[in-house]
Amino acid sequence: MPLKLLLQLSWRNLWRHRRRNGIMVLAIALAVTGVMLMNTLMRGMAAEMREAAIDNLTGHIKVIHPGYMADPGIGRGFEPEQGWEQALADVPVAGWAQRVRVPAVIMSERETRGVQLVGVDPAREAISFLGSLSVDGEALSGAEDRRIIIGATLAEQLETSVGRRLVIMTQGADGLNREAGYRIAGTYDADSNALEKVFVFTGAQTVARLLESPAVTEVSLRLESGDDIPLALAELGAVFEDLDVKAWQDLEPQVASMVLVADFGLYIMYFVIMGALVFGLVNALVTAVMERVRELGMLRALGMRPRSVVAQVVVESTLVMTAGVVAGLALAVVCYLPFSGGIDLSAFSETMQMMGVRNIFTPRLEVADMVIVFVLSLVLGVLASLYPARRAVKVTPLDAMRR
Amino acid sequence: MTQHVVECQGVSRTYQDDAVPVHALRGVDFAVGTGEFVSLAGPSGSGKSTLLHVIGGLDRPNEGAISVDGEDINALGDSELADLRLNKIGFVFQAYNLIPVLSAQENVEFIMQLQGVDAAERGERALGTLDSLGMRDLADRRPGEMSGGQQQRVAIARAIVTNPVLLLADEPSANLDTGTTGELLELLKRLNKERGVTIVTATHDPMVMGYASRQVHLRDGEIVSE
Ligand SMILES: Nc1ncnc2c1ncn2[C@@H]1O[C@H](COP(=O)(O)OP(=O)(O)OP(=O)(O)O)[C@@H](O)[C@H]1O
Ligand SMILES: [Mg+2]
Repeated sequence: MPLKLLLQLSWRNLWRHRRRNGIMVLAIALAVTGVMLMNTLMRGMAAEMREAAIDNLTGHIKVIHPGYMADPGIGRGFEPEQGWEQALADVPVAGWAQRVRVPAVIMSERETRGVQLVGVDPAREAISFLGSLSVDGEALSGAEDRRIIIGATLAEQLETSVGRRLVIMTQGADGLNREAGYRIAGTYDADSNALEKVFVFTGAQTVARLLESPAVTEVSLRLESGDDIPLALAELGAVFEDLDVKAWQDLEPQVASMVLVADFGLYIMYFVIMGALVFGLVNALVTAVMERVRELGMLRALGMRPRSVVAQVVVESTLVMTAGVVAGLALAVVCYLPFSGGIDLSAFSETMQMMGVRNIFTPRLEVADMVIVFVLSLVLGVLASLYPARRAVKVTPLDAMRR
Repeated sequence: MTQHVVECQGVSRTYQDDAVPVHALRGVDFAVGTGEFVSLAGPSGSGKSTLLHVIGGLDRPNEGAISVDGEDINALGDSELADLRLNKIGFVFQAYNLIPVLSAQENVEFIMQLQGVDAAERGERALGTLDSLGMRDLADRRPGEMSGGQQQRVAIARAIVTNPVLLLADEPSANLDTGTTGELLELLKRLNKERGVTIVTATHDPMVMGYASRQVHLRDGEIVSE
C-alpha cells in the first residue's frame, strides 16, 4: 500500500474524530510536559548535588593513601613527586591542589570543637568551594599564611570573631600532640552549615610546620569534563602506584547513587505516567477501530491486505502520539525557559542551607532526555496500536461488513 | 462459450450455526463465460450472496473447486486472495461501499492507488469513468454528501475503472428507487455491451433479472433452473 495513501487515510480518519483525538493529544501533551518538568527538577537537583560533592574538596578525582579513609592523619601522608601532573598530558585538567588535611580540636576561651584542619595553597583552590567563598574579614593570602579562616557557624559556636585567636591541637607524624595558636583572618559563609562547622583553613606550610612534616594527605583534581574521569584514573594510577586514585563517585557514594537515581528517574516517571495513559490510548483506539470495523472490512474485501489495515491503525496511533509528544515537549520548553537561569530560593534560604542546597536552584532540561521521551513515545504509540489493529483484522471481511 | 471467466465444480459451503449446520451451497456447478451478464435469482437464503462471495474470493468453499480467470482459488493464500480481488474483480456491495473520508474521485482512485497506478493516469481515468456515469460534477463530494443512487454509481465507477475480469454486484438496487434502478441497469448493460465487462449480480429484483442476458435460479443452495 502506498505510504501516501496510508497517511492520507489515517490523517483524515483522525480529523473525523477530532474531539476525541484532540483530547487524547492534550492528555499526552500534559503528561509529557509533567514528566519533562519533574525531570528538569530532578536533573537540576542531581547536578547540584554532584557539583556540591565535587566542590566539597573532593574534585573529580582524589589521590589519597590507602589507609587514609579508615585512619585519617598525617601518618597517612605522602609526598607527590615534582611534575606528576605531566602524566595527564592528554586529559584537559581544570586544576589541581595538594592539601594536608588532619582531624584537629579547636578551642576558644569558651568552647571546644572537633574539626578538620586543612592546609591549602589558596591560589590553587579555584577548583573547590574555597575559591568562591564569601569571606567576612580577610581571605588567606597564600600557602605561607599563618592565620586561619573558619566557618561563620563555627565562629558562632565558639563564640569568637575575626581578629581573635584560637588554639588548635592535633597529632604529629610521630603520634605526639602538637598545639599552636592562630589568629582568625576571616569567617566564611558556605552553602551548607555542615561545611562551615567542619573545615578550618590555613596555609599549607603553616600546617606542615605544625606537624613537622612536608607530606600532604591528598591531591585533588578537577577535569574540564567529567567524561574524562576513567582515562584520568588510569593515567594517575600509573603515577601514584602505591596510593589510591579515586573518582568522586567512590568518595561520595551516596551522592553518586542519587545521581544515578535521577538518571533512572526519567524512565520511572515516564512509565508510571505514560503507562496509565497508554491504557486510555488503547481504549480509544479499540473504540475507533470497532466503529470502523465495517469500513475496514470493506477495504479488505476490495483487496487491501490485512497488514495494510494494521499499518493504517498503527499510523493513526503514532500520529496522535507524535502530535501529543511534540506539543508536550514544546510546552515543557516554554515552561522551562523563564527558569533556565535558575530559581532564587533565598527566601527559603535558612531551610535550604540546612539541606545543603544553594540559594539559586537551576533546573536542567536536557535535549537527550527530550529525545528519549520522544523515541519512547513513538515506540509506545506503535505498541499501543497493535492490539486494536489486530482486532480490526481478526474478523473476516465478510463478517465485518455484515455487522 | 468455450472461454470461462468463472468455473465452479461441486461447490459446497456449510455454516456451522449453533451446532446446526446450514447448507448455504450444496454442490453447485456453475460457469460464466467471458462477456456474459448473469443474474442469480432465488428466494432469500437460497445462497445467492454466498455464491458471489466464494466466486469473489471473499469466502472459501468447504468442498469443490473454483477458478477465476484460470486461477484456482483453493490454492491461494489470504494475501494472494486479496491480490486477486484487487486486480481481477470489481465488487459492488449492497451498502457501505465507499470510504467515508474520501471524495467520490478519491474513492474511484482508491483501487488504482493500491495497484500502484501513477497519479496523473489515475485522475484521468477516474474522472473519465465518473463522467461516463454522469457523475463528474460530484467528483469532489464525500459519500455523506451524495444520495444512495449516486453512491452506488461511484461504487460501480470504482469497480470498473480498473477493467476487472469480473464485476460482482450483490443486490445493487436494494437501496434504490425504481427510476434510479433503471438508470443503474442501463449502465450495467452498457458496460456489458460496450466494454465487454463480465457481470454476475445477485438480486430479488425482477427488473434486474430482466436486464441480464442469462438467469440462474437458486433454491436451498442448489441451482434449480437456468
Ligand atoms: N456467516 C453466516 N453464518 C451462518 N449462516 C450463514 C452465514 N451467511 C449466510 N448464512 C446462511 O446461509 C444461507 C444462504 O445465505 P445467503 O446470504 O447466501 O442467501 P441469499 O440468497 O443471499 O439471501 P438474501 O436474498 O436474503 O440475500 C442462509 O440460510 C443464511 O442464513
Ligand atoms: Mg444475499
